[in-house]
Amino acid sequence: MEDTICPRCKTSKFQNPSLKMMVNVCGHALCESCVDLLFLKGSGACPDCRIPLRRNNFRVQLFEDSTVEKEVDIRKRILRDFNKKEEDFSSLREYNDYLEEIETIIYNLSNDVDIINTNKRIEDYKRNNKEQIMKSKNKMSREEYELEELLEVEKQNDLVRRNELKIEEIQTKKKKLREKEALIDELMFSNANAKNIVETFALNAKESKEAEIKIVPNKVTQFSSGIQFGRQTQSSFLPVSIEEGPLYTYKPQSIVSDGPQPPAEEDLVKIGYNTHIRSETEQERAGGFVSNVACIRALQDALAGLYHVKKIVA
Amino acid sequence: MTNSSQRYEKIEFLGEGQFATVYKAKDKENDNIVAVKKIKAGSKIEAQDGINRTALREIKILQELNHKNCLVLLDVFSQGSMSNVSLVFDFMDTDLEVIIKDNTIILTTPNIKTYMIQTLQGLEYLHLNWILHRDLKPNNLLVNASGILKIADFGLAKLFGSPNRLNTHQVVTRWYRSPELLFGAKQYGICVDMWAVGCILAELLLRVPFLPGESDLDQLTKIFQVFGNPTEQNWPGVKSLSDFVEFKPYPPVPLKNIFIAAGDDLLDVVDALLVLNPLKRKNCSETLQMPFFSNKPAPSINAKLPLPQNIKKKDLEKPSLKRKLLNSAEGGTLSKRLFF
Repeated sequence: MEDTICPRCKTSKFQNPSLKMMVNVCGHALCESCVDLLFLKGSGACPDCRIPLRRNNFRVQLFEDSTVEKEVDIRKRILRDFNKKEEDFSSLREYNDYLEEIETIIYNLSNDVDIINTNKRIEDYKRNNKEQIMKSKNKMSREEYELEELLEVEKQNDLVRRNELKIEEIQTKKKKLREKEALIDELMFSNANAKNIVETFALNAKESKEAEIKIVPNKVTQFSSGIQFGRQTQSSFLPVSIEEGPLYTYKPQSIVSDGPQPPAEEDLVKIGYNTHIRSETEQERAGGFVSNVACIRALQDALAGLYHVKKIVA
Repeated sequence: MTNSSQRYEKIEFLGEGQFATVYKAKDKENDNIVAVKKIKAGSKIEAQDGINRTALREIKILQELNHKNCLVLLDVFSQGSMSNVSLVFDFMDTDLEVIIKDNTIILTTPNIKTYMIQTLQGLEYLHLNWILHRDLKPNNLLVNASGILKIADFGLAKLFGSPNRLNTHQVVTRWYRSPELLFGAKQYGICVDMWAVGCILAELLLRVPFLPGESDLDQLTKIFQVFGNPTEQNWPGVKSLSDFVEFKPYPPVPLKNIFIAAGDDLLDVVDALLVLNPLKRKNCSETLQMPFFSNKPAPSINAKLPLPQNIKKKDLEKPSLKRKLLNSAEGGTLSKRLFF
């Protein structure tokens, strides 16, 4: 990610940390400011392949490989029309053929194979299945509706919980106010000793506060999940059991690799495997990365599963 | 798929995170109590693209795991549309953070030994399978009523060992973040998890977070105040790390002065895990072979581990709900940034 460079203005992530790469249907990436500049009028040609592009089709690049982006775009477009469901076919075989047809079209378009014929195929399909496409599109919207419902429920739940908290807060505030008023009333109209009255009220307030503290833990920092330190409710310690179990002995864990044993780490240098792997830089070494690790992983990956036999279930 | 969603019967709400809500549920097929983690759909645009990417990463890694000290995935099901996904896990009663902070519990050396052995075994398994956890902290080490500890939350986990893939250094909760990550290393290995384990062990001994830094720089200061400053001798190449800064010199403090009650063999373990130079840190297998673990006293039996008293009463969930609610009301926990 660090070494992404805009092909037009050569700005890199290092020079501009907020660099955002955008892609359009052709799959050639441009940085955000170049898009702003080149497509000031709303449309223009891709500086790489001269294909006319629209500005509002640009979106933020999600995958590092822009050819993947291109395929995702094409897939989205194709699936809008090729929207039959499994229920629309009489047999699984037919459905699979249909899926394969879609994949072929997508592959052709994203790799520039036989574009004219492929486009013709799409047109043909569109013409022949006009009704079907419209029908399925309505079906799709039902799915979307479901999704919206789900989002709505989530939002509602959040709101409900937030409201609960708010109500609780208001109630405590009200309670405080009431207590204060009661105290003043008492002081105004009662004949008892003022000091006594204040004392009993303070005691009551303290008691109710203690009860509250148990419910509301105060947050110490943003890291803490809010559990309070210190002895909370009871002051006695839990009994300590001194029963002894068996002593621990280390048993190395084994992994089932289903393949030949890769060479041990000590042998990597001797056999010369690590000459095929880029050795680590000083900076990588300081960060705790050594190329031996990468070498072992590559060897394990290469050898694992070589003896794998599919288990036949009787 | 529809079968699966009816298989679990919701019992109660447990908590809510940034990406998911967690419910306690009963598996109708075998009456087991499970935890169902329902991934949030998020915004409409995200939902149209399919499953939330963090969830996808978690599912991808969890699918391949099977170890008694890792929280393994029991089932995945979706209701209705594809973006409504739920993951099913074993139900765990509490976590190590609750145990550490509950001062009615006395943690003895055998207790600590049992917790550490389980953590290291689970982590050894992950590392053998080329998985970095990258978010180890007491809060993510779950413990059930029978004293089994499981490593959970693989939302930041990633495969490691590829020489060309750069990783982000913005991982691991700050208090458990290793010095090389704080210095901005992009290529790192299991050493980042080992540092976190060292911090957890220290926290088990001290009963408060060992290095509670308030910012990234403060975190480094806290580290160097204990271990002394890094030099080219004890950490070759440290100055080449991208975010390296020179600090005011601090003399190292002997660990004996910090962990006054700990035995020598235990201090050796702390010393082996909390080394500034990542390459000098011991890995899980080497740590488990250290004398502390095989020495007397023997580790305590899982079922005999001290646990918070309210677990038996089953009302632990109430405060934890409150905990999560308060967090979300004040803008949520510090969101994790991911660059890949």
